[in-house]
Amino acid sequence: MVKKITIATLLIALITISAIKAQSVTARDIMIKVIDRPDGNSRSSELTMKLINKRNRIRERKLKSYAIDIGKDTKKIMFFNYPGDVKGTGFLTWDYDKIGKDDDKWLYLPAMKKTRRISGSSAKKDYFMGSDFTYDDMGSRNVDEDTHTLIKETTVDGYKCWVIESEPKDKRDIYSKKISTIRQDCLIAVSVEYYDKLGKLQRVLKLSDIAKVDGFWIAKRLHMKNVQKKHQTILTIANPKYNIGIQENTFTVSKLEKGSL
Amino acid sequence: MNYKYRALIIFLITVSTAVYCQDDKTIFKFNGFADSYHALRVKKPNDFMSSRSRLRGELRVTHEKSFLFASLNATHNSILKDQTKFELREAFYQYTTGSWDVKLGRQIITWGVADAMRITDIISPMDYTEFLARDYDDIRIPVNAFKIKYLKTDYNIELIFIPVSEFFIIPTDPDNPWSVIKTDNIVTDNTVPEKRIKNSEIGGRFSFYLSGIDFSVSALHTWNKMPVFRSSKVPNNDTIFMHATYKRLNMVGLDLSATLGQFVLRGEAAGYFGEILESRIPGNAPISSDNVNVMLGIDWYPGNDLNVSAQLSHKYITDYNNNMKPYRNTSLSTFNITKKLFRSTLSLASFAHIDITNGGLFNRLSADYSLSDQIHLIIGYDHFEGDSGMFGMYKNNSEVWVKGKFSF
Repeated sequence: MVKKITIATLLIALITISAIKAQSVTARDIMIKVIDRPDGNSRSSELTMKLINKRNRIRERKLKSYAIDIGKDTKKIMFFNYPGDVKGTGFLTWDYDKIGKDDDKWLYLPAMKKTRRISGSSAKKDYFMGSDFTYDDMGSRNVDEDTHTLIKETTVDGYKCWVIESEPKDKRDIYSKKISTIRQDCLIAVSVEYYDKLGKLQRVLKLSDIAKVDGFWIAKRLHMKNVQKKHQTILTIANPKYNIGIQENTFTVSKLEKGSL
Repeated sequence: MNYKYRALIIFLITVSTAVYCQDDKTIFKFNGFADSYHALRVKKPNDFMSSRSRLRGELRVTHEKSFLFASLNATHNSILKDQTKFELREAFYQYTTGSWDVKLGRQIITWGVADAMRITDIISPMDYTEFLARDYDDIRIPVNAFKIKYLKTDYNIELIFIPVSEFFIIPTDPDNPWSVIKTDNIVTDNTVPEKRIKNSEIGGRFSFYLSGIDFSVSALHTWNKMPVFRSSKVPNNDTIFMHATYKRLNMVGLDLSATLGQFVLRGEAAGYFGEILESRIPGNAPISSDNVNVMLGIDWYPGNDLNVSAQLSHKYITDYNNNMKPYRNTSLSTFNITKKLFRSTLSLASFAHIDITNGGLFNRLSADYSLSDQIHLIIGYDHFEGDSGMFGMYKNNSEVWVKGKFSF
């Protein structure tokens, strides 16, 4: 009798472990699909960020962004156009997919007429231009920097979605986990919840205005709300273009200093 | 015709031409700012050290691979009347293809990786009319240059030719609180080298941008752009004449910056061959020297919008002799800390220059608050300390200042 119970218990445990493992692999596969969603070899867009504080005071940031994929890595160059005191400032990143390899980043400050190499590791956790998006949010992230778990499947606005929890493996990260709701038809998240180190909800990202442009899916409106600090940022993407025919040698310090391509 | 009016006319013609030529392929942008800066000495007689307002216009015209840039300052200065003027700052034409970049005209050229230290960065000279109490962009003097760059993904090669050199502006009017001359019995003769092709400058820089590290090697045939003075006296007269001397200078240098986690390490080294130095014996001609200049710096980016930087530079005269007035070894360091608060609306900064050789200090503290996207209000304090050297000279010039800036 004892032997039967033991075998049954073992079998149940094995099945459970296998199920959990299978689910975990599935979640990772989904995230790989999301990361590898076709978006052309190169792309450009005009970004406007509206920063709204708890008194509804609005500040604005405008920039132009270009990016090219080199294998799994991405090179990106951004030029700030507004407000006037940051106009001409440029930001160049060589974003590496390999875990543990720091990105290369350069910042061009027109007032100094000088380009500075900056640390590729620490700025990731800082907020981008005073917005609610971190530098990490603005870049790409290797799928294996987080442990992914498929929580459930659901329907949002008539679209079938996966709900996936991602927990950073690096405990120094600024959030303890994030929960993404991902549309199955276009592989774009419609919402992401970020939880702080104490496990409390900190930020909520809502993506909308999802459409196909030049055959590629894109969310043109990203609304990030810091629910703890009552601050929010609305990022709108205008004039997105794909496979724009720029070369890798466009993503250099010389172009950064020119202020445009 | 006065230079300031010529500058204004050139600028207006450029703007008009750009507007007239505007078509679908031509992008025309005009922006700038207005600012007003006022500084008060903290020591007696608590007088105004500076009071100036300025309108800056910047024009950018892009047409396919061509780019035109012009910037003009219209300044009213209540303290230094000769600084009330129109001034064409930069005005250049740039043509860029996939592998080539050509830039022709009046431009500020910066080399190297040091902040506020001149090791290889000796092309665009400095305007010390108000010493270091101005924006960096205003302190650097643009040069009329032809610059061509060959661009590749990981490296570029840059050649520059400067037909007519520009030199440091050193204030000598005793009414200027930043003047290097404090008495009326000194007359300066600041005759710069003739504007002839044989006096032109030429240089090159080979720069690499690799994963985790950038480095460059450079060479320049230039001048000592900071004048070295030789004094003379007329018999039976108290007047002292100070004659500025300029000589050829050759420089070879290298610089690098590399990331190490949260840190960026920076280094620069240059050999100066033929740099003239002041003689210890009054009236004697300056003495030619060879010397080595080295800078090491570290930047720390711990996150939370905090940046900390420190630099140490050292100059060593290899062929030193006792007739030279400067020391054989001289050192300078800087320490900079910047913190942004309230979602980057408030920026607090402290930038200290420390003259290790003479025991002097210049520390600029500032708080920059963004009232709106267009309006910044900045308050600051400049502290000078020391008995000799370039900072000790201004030990009575510590000042509080306020600046308002409206960008459009």
